[in-house]
Amino acid sequence: MANTGDLVKIEGKEGILMPTTDPKITIIKLESGYNIAYKNAKVELVKEKEEITKTQNQKIESNPKLKNISILHCGGTVASKIDYKTGAVSALFEPSEFLNLFPELKDIANVKSELIAQMLSENMRFGHYNIMAKAIEEQIKKGVDGIILTQGTDTLHYTSAALSFMIENSPIPILILGSQRSSDRGSSDAAMNIVSAISFATQTDFKGVGVCMHADTNDEDCLIMQGTKVKKMHTSRRDAFRPINTKAIARINYKTKEITYLNEYNKEKNNLNITFFKENLKIGILKSRPNLFAEELEVYNNFDGLIIEGTGLGHISIRKVDDLTSENEIIKNKLEELTKKIPVVMTSQCTYGRIDMNVYSEGRTNIEMGILGNELDMTTETAFIKLAWLLSNDLDVKTNLNKNLRGEISERIENVFLN
Amino acid sequence: MDYEKLGFKCGIEIHQQLEGKKLFCNCPTVIRKDTPDYSFTRQLRASAGESGNVDKAASYEQKKQKTFIYQGYNDTNCLVEQDEEPPRPVNQKAVETTLQVCKMLNCKIVDEIIFMRKVVVDGSNVSGFQRTALVGQDGYIEVNGRKIGIEAVCLEEEACQVIKRTEDTDIYNLSRLGIPLIEIATAPDIKNPKECQETAAKLGMFLRSTGACRRGIGSIRQDVNISIKEGYRVEVKGFQDLKSIPKISDFEVNRQVKEKEKQGPHVRKAEADFTTSFLRPMPGSGRMYPETDIPLVKIDLTNIKEIITLEKKQNKLEKDYSLNSDFASIAIKSGIDFPTLFNKYKNLEPKFIVNTILNLPKEIKKRHNVEIDILAHSEFILSSLDDNKISPSAIEEILLKLNNNEKINLDDYKAMPLEEIKNKIKEIMKENPDAPMGALMGKAMAAFKGKVDGKIVNEILRKLQ
Repeated sequence: MANTGDLVKIEGKEGILMPTTDPKITIIKLESGYNIAYKNAKVELVKEKEEITKTQNQKIESNPKLKNISILHCGGTVASKIDYKTGAVSALFEPSEFLNLFPELKDIANVKSELIAQMLSENMRFGHYNIMAKAIEEQIKKGVDGIILTQGTDTLHYTSAALSFMIENSPIPILILGSQRSSDRGSSDAAMNIVSAISFATQTDFKGVGVCMHADTNDEDCLIMQGTKVKKMHTSRRDAFRPINTKAIARINYKTKEITYLNEYNKEKNNLNITFFKENLKIGILKSRPNLFAEELEVYNNFDGLIIEGTGLGHISIRKVDDLTSENEIIKNKLEELTKKIPVVMTSQCTYGRIDMNVYSEGRTNIEMGILGNELDMTTETAFIKLAWLLSNDLDVKTNLNKNLRGEISERIENVFLN
Repeated sequence: MDYEKLGFKCGIEIHQQLEGKKLFCNCPTVIRKDTPDYSFTRQLRASAGESGNVDKAASYEQKKQKTFIYQGYNDTNCLVEQDEEPPRPVNQKAVETTLQVCKMLNCKIVDEIIFMRKVVVDGSNVSGFQRTALVGQDGYIEVNGRKIGIEAVCLEEEACQVIKRTEDTDIYNLSRLGIPLIEIATAPDIKNPKECQETAAKLGMFLRSTGACRRGIGSIRQDVNISIKEGYRVEVKGFQDLKSIPKISDFEVNRQVKEKEKQGPHVRKAEADFTTSFLRPMPGSGRMYPETDIPLVKIDLTNIKEIITLEKKQNKLEKDYSLNSDFASIAIKSGIDFPTLFNKYKNLEPKFIVNTILNLPKEIKKRHNVEIDILAHSEFILSSLDDNKISPSAIEEILLKLNNNEKINLDDYKAMPLEEIKNKIKEIMKENPDAPMGALMGKAMAAFKGKVDGKIVNEILRKLQ
């Protein structure tokens, strides 16, 4: 019986046995580098695999002239490489391999990297935010000059909002980044995002949580965006992360390392205060839409809070207008019931713009029913995280939701649509 | 040169572009040179392989630390070519064509197709790799009665076209990227440069027989692998045309003999003066890893039609319609369904039909500098000739008139009945009993005023003498 990695022979062809998920398919890697698949093949062992001795990583002396930056890895594409044994791109990454992959970093900062979580970002839970915040706290106490946190991009904007609320008055820049092309490929955006974030962190007086990703499709500039006002707006592009209802904090050139500040940002130093999430908290998100059923709201009876991602200015179907719309009355009754039990917050599926429930009478009915969030311009993701964080820390939702705690609410929205 | 004594070993790789849609997106296979709509810049990095080793060829390119500028077109390029979207499902038509080629080349076809990423960091692939899959192997092709082994038939994507290289920046045009390419690699069974050329020609003919290939300059490329005894394998890339293969191969063998190849296996470029120049080290197998964005492609051979090669079609044409090989060859190459025309116009010689459709327009172009759309008028011309309503010698004039949208009065071009021609010639012979053949011919042609084909007059004269 041959194992993965062994040299085997199938139908006269020699190759290295590769693992497969389909038991009927056998895959070998030929001398030419090509993998070929066989159905129901007879596998003949030629030679057992040799254990690959891991190359010892060089110890890098720290340079007293350079700033100290810590990198915390939380999985995702940016921290992935090809597993030649499985042939898959996987989130397996020895932090020590990091400097081997990006050797230019040793001239920019003294970089230490640590693996604190290992997952594709859709799998994250509030508990992971607590692990991250604790790791960040530890690094800040050690006196590092900046922290880079890498993770998968899918929920990166949830993380940036969560850390923004958890870490109050950070004395250093904390930049979260990911990559849209895995770092095993030549065209990966990982190197530029990482190098730019570290360059920014070593030069800036910005204090707080930001996101550092490609400014556009070119490998030229990265944007530094405020953690509470950013969203993944494209499934696959490098420049998927955009600032919402605001400008980016800064732009940094990958080659020259030159920073251009584009917006006001926090430079103040105050007492660091780190708070956490209740890990068993249940917050729901309901998308308002045509043909909604009251039944969908039943789920939230046992929840701690609910975000309604409303249509337009902040609407949900609550009025019977003809024979076809009697369900809407039931929805309204159910909503009234819910708002008495838990905080219900309105956001908009438009992504850009502010909630205004005063424009239409239905909106005013929402306010009368106790739906919160009027006048706010938070993304659904930021509102979800803020609500969870307020509830986790026993802060009164009604009084704090409309308070601008971490720059999540715009006093005025400039002409920044689709920027 | 005694190739056998030198231990000459040679194999060729053929790359043929396919027509239709790109391999991993729905963009058309249009190569453009007009002003691009947009451009973007990228950097590429060589990434470490399985054992932490960066591929030799890849690291050679990265040392150059270049910036790449890509120019694209809104209507014929999409996010896939920009490496801003994962590949779409593989082009099934391209897979089918590759399977047909595998069958023609007697290859063993893989059970499922696995696309790989072949690391390329010279910028010619925006992603930093070329997607490629092995589809068939261990086949053969017969060239002049000798079997040349086929090591592999692969389906892969075409790279970008370089527009300009400077010290720190390369500019590429995106339009060619992603066009399906069939790669055929022969075993090193080729014994001499002439056989190399013949093998390349035959493989090209097989590929064209599928009817799925792109045409024109650059749509097919040949690389030749050459080694001599105790030397390293050297790949010579970029042969512009088949005829240069023997000469460049000769030069390359001479170079290898003279320089006693020390550089190790590497890739060279075929130059216009038939010499070759160093291009880059030979890439190793370490630069291949699976393309995980594309699931294994299941193979269905039930719908794969067997291809009748152009060669076979030509042989059949020669045999069935007694055409010589030149006429049969141009008839096949034209793609026009000549057998149908031959069967429809039974009173006309097949050779005459081929000549009228393929050669006559060229002659008219030469004589009158007029482009004739022969296919628009061929039915009228051929049926009139077939019914003996017009004289063959009138075709040119009729075509010119048709081309000017002038009305044609068939009576003006009436073919004279054969009996009438004979009688007239007899008359002329009687009047000039001692005149030699040439003089009679002249007199007869003058009498017919161009309404009778010279060949017919000549034939009748001979018979009557």
